[in-house]
Parts: sequence; C-alpha cells; structure tokens
Amino acid sequence: MTAVFKTFQKNTGSIATFSLPPGMSYPVQIPAGVTLQTSSGHLYKVNVPVMVTQAPGGASRILSQPVQHVIEAREPTAAQRAVAPSVLHTAAPQAPAGPCLHPPEVQQQHVFLSQCALPRPTAPPPPLIPQAPVSPGDDQFTLEGIEFSPRLLDTGLPSSFPAQLSDFQAKTGQMPASGSEVGVQGETKGDVGALAERADNARPEDPAKREAGLSCDYNHNVLEDIVQLDGACGGSSDEGEGGEEEEADGVTENEFLGMINAEALRALQEGEGSTGGGSSDSSDAADEFAEEEDPLNSGDDVSEQDIPDLFDTDNVVVCQYDKIHRSKNRWKFYLKDGVMCFAGKDYVFSKAVGEAEW
Amino acid sequence: MAYQLYRNTTLGNSLQESLDELIQTQQITPQLALQVLLQFDKAINTALANRVRNRVNFRGSLNTYRFCDNVWTFVLNDVEFREVTDLVKVDKVKIVACDGKTCP
Repeated sequence: MTAVFKTFQKNTGSIATFSLPPGMSYPVQIPAGVTLQTSSGHLYKVNVPVMVTQAPGGASRILSQPVQHVIEAREPTAAQRAVAPSVLHTAAPQAPAGPCLHPPEVQQQHVFLSQCALPRPTAPPPPLIPQAPVSPGDDQFTLEGIEFSPRLLDTGLPSSFPAQLSDFQAKTGQMPASGSEVGVQGETKGDVGALAERADNARPEDPAKREAGLSCDYNHNVLEDIVQLDGACGGSSDEGEGGEEEEADGVTENEFLGMINAEALRALQEGEGSTGGGSSDSSDAADEFAEEEDPLNSGDDVSEQDIPDLFDTDNVVVCQYDKIHRSKNRWKFYLKDGVMCFAGKDYVFSKAVGEAEW
Repeated sequence: MAYQLYRNTTLGNSLQESLDELIQTQQITPQLALQVLLQFDKAINTALANRVRNRVNFRGSLNTYRFCDNVWTFVLNDVEFREVTDLVKVDKVKIVACDGKTCP
C-alpha cells in the first residue's frame, strides 16, 4: 500500500489524511481516526476502523452507517450536492486506536459518506441520506468502485447494527429500497429519530461483553480442534482442562493408551519371567504391541540384533589405531600392531588398512 | 605400563587361565599373577612393534561403531582379510583398537 499519511493535530485530535493512490489494490484497511480524501478533494473522517473493498459491480456507493457513526464533512461544498451520502462516525463507542481487526466473526458497520455538514455526535443523530447512484463523471463524491464493507471491530457497536448492516450492499441502482437490511438505508433526512432510537436501544449493550463473547467463542472453537493425546488418561485425569479439551474420541484414545500400557506391562513381565519359552510369547505380544504402536511411530528401531549378541563373536581383532576416517558412510581404518583370531587361528600384523561401508 | 589390550587374545587368555589355576592350587599368589600379566603386556607390545613386519588389507561392511574412552570398537560383517599370502573371509568380526599414538 503506498498510501500517504500526513498527521496533523487538531482540536479533534490527531488526524491522518489518506489519499488513495491510483491503482491501489483493495481491500484497504482504514484505521480509526483517519480522514479520507477523495479525488475530488472532499475530506471524510472515519472514526471507526473500516475496511474498504472493491465492489464487484464497479461503481458503488458508500454504504449507509448507523446513526451513531458520524463523519464530519470538511468540505462546505457538500451542501450543494443534490445527493450527498453522509458520513457518520460513532460518538459514544470509541474505536480503538490501531489497525482494525477483521476476525472471522465480523461486525459489520457501514460507513456512510455524506457531503452534508453534520453536527457533532453529541447532538441528535444527523440525518442519514441514502446514497443515490451517481455517474462517474459527477462531481459528487463517490468513491467509485469502492465499497466500504465494514469489518470487525472492537468498537463496541450495538449488536443490532451489525445485524442490520450485514447485508448492506450499495450497488448502482440498488437503492436502499430493501429497507429490511440496514435500517439506515430507508432513512431520509427527516427520519432520524427512528434510527436514533434503534441505536440507543442497542447501545446499552456492553461492547466489552460482546467482545469477550466473541473472543470466548473464538477460543472455544480453537480448543475444540485440539486433540489431547498425551497426559493422564481420561478416567484418572484430575485436571478439568484435560478432560474438557479432549473430544469425545479422546476418551477412546485414552483407553487405547491404557491398553498399550497394559500390554507393555504384560510383555515386560513375560520377558522377565522366562527366557526361551517366554521369549516367543513376549515376541508375539511384542509383535501385536508393535502393530498397535505403529501409528505412534514406536517401530522406528531397526536394530535386528541385540547389542550383547552383536558383540559376542569369536572373530576378534585386537590392535591399535593410527587413524580412523569417515566420509559420509564410508569408513577407512588405519590400524597397527594387531593380533587377529579367526576360526581358532591367530594372525598378526604390523599394519592393517581397511575399508567398510556403514 | 603397556596396553593390557592383548590379554584378550588366544595367547593372553591361555596365560590368564593358567595363572588362575596356579592361584587355585596355592602355588602362586594373586600378586605374582598380576605381575606376570603386566610382564606379558610389556612383552607382547614390544614384540608386535619390533618383530612383526607384515601388512594386511581388509574390506567389509560396517555394522556398528563405537568410540568410548579413546577406544574404537567396530563390528564388521562379511569381511575379507587379505594378506599377500592368503585370504580369510569371515561373516562377523569385532575389532577393538586402542590409540596408537598415546601408548601408556
């Protein structure tokens, strides 16, 4: 994103102007407190983090916004426009500073751009004017091809608003006739009271609670995906977390592990109790045991011979080494002063050079 | 003090068994047996260093290798020991080698 941000202080606080360079790719994430400047020069301050996306239909209008969202229009010329989308920004709920988040659970808010000078948020909600399609050549501010699809937020918007705005899509010719969507859409200049009422009713909802609920849901979903395969068995687990985290299948897995442990104990006992006779039994148990453990990659040991048997041989060479060299798996031995014994016959050497591949 | 490495050869084992028998029959003391073995170590090391002059080549596949306390222990499979005069093939051989540079 090659946006240019200029910050300057005002009584309203720091304001960042954002000019959308041509050819910028959408979606664009606009944090709170950003003032958007359109190509026509109008400034619109966004007090709520929004996500600007490219509408598929091309020219589109800014979506309406809940009453609480009031965005001041800086351009006095806005009043001259016949159709002027109003920009609103939330008054009470303050969007958190920083980039806006768009987690899966999206609260949608709509940014309603307006060219009308609107009173401050403390005043009664300003009139919301539904956007009207404007031809591209118009002087009116249109963020053409731009669709403000609100995302997320921890802004504490009333839950009712997201529900209302979720389906809001401003398209050319698609006036807010479908008033069922965003309540704001059907609003006219004079029909602010109803909106305000709705907003006020929804506002009391605690934004923090909703956030917590969302986050809890989010965490819960993540936790459900985690299958705990280790730790104490389900039956003997003292910690509630372990039991809670395990899925229904986890119980069977724990039982499975219990079976493995029992079999291992049995195999060990059989191995200890007997040598020759029991070895076959233990090996059988070990085979079954190995099959069950394959998923757990416990069969990685490829040693075919036991270590004691491996080193027990009659053919022994006792010597001293000058140099032992290894290259990858090729070994070279430089030995000296050795005594060899093969098949009962003894040999000696003063020097021995050997090669072996491991 | 030379390597006690060569006590585990046919010659060295036979010597140890004989010494054990003498100790059993009270003909010598264990201390004397120990002295005999130490002398054996010295003699075998000197003999191998001075009186043996042949060279052996061998080739095989390495099964295991171990290096502990500066002692290499290898187990080779399907090894062929080649000397100028003759050739010996063994299925499995264990090689124990002490450090030839630092000899006690």
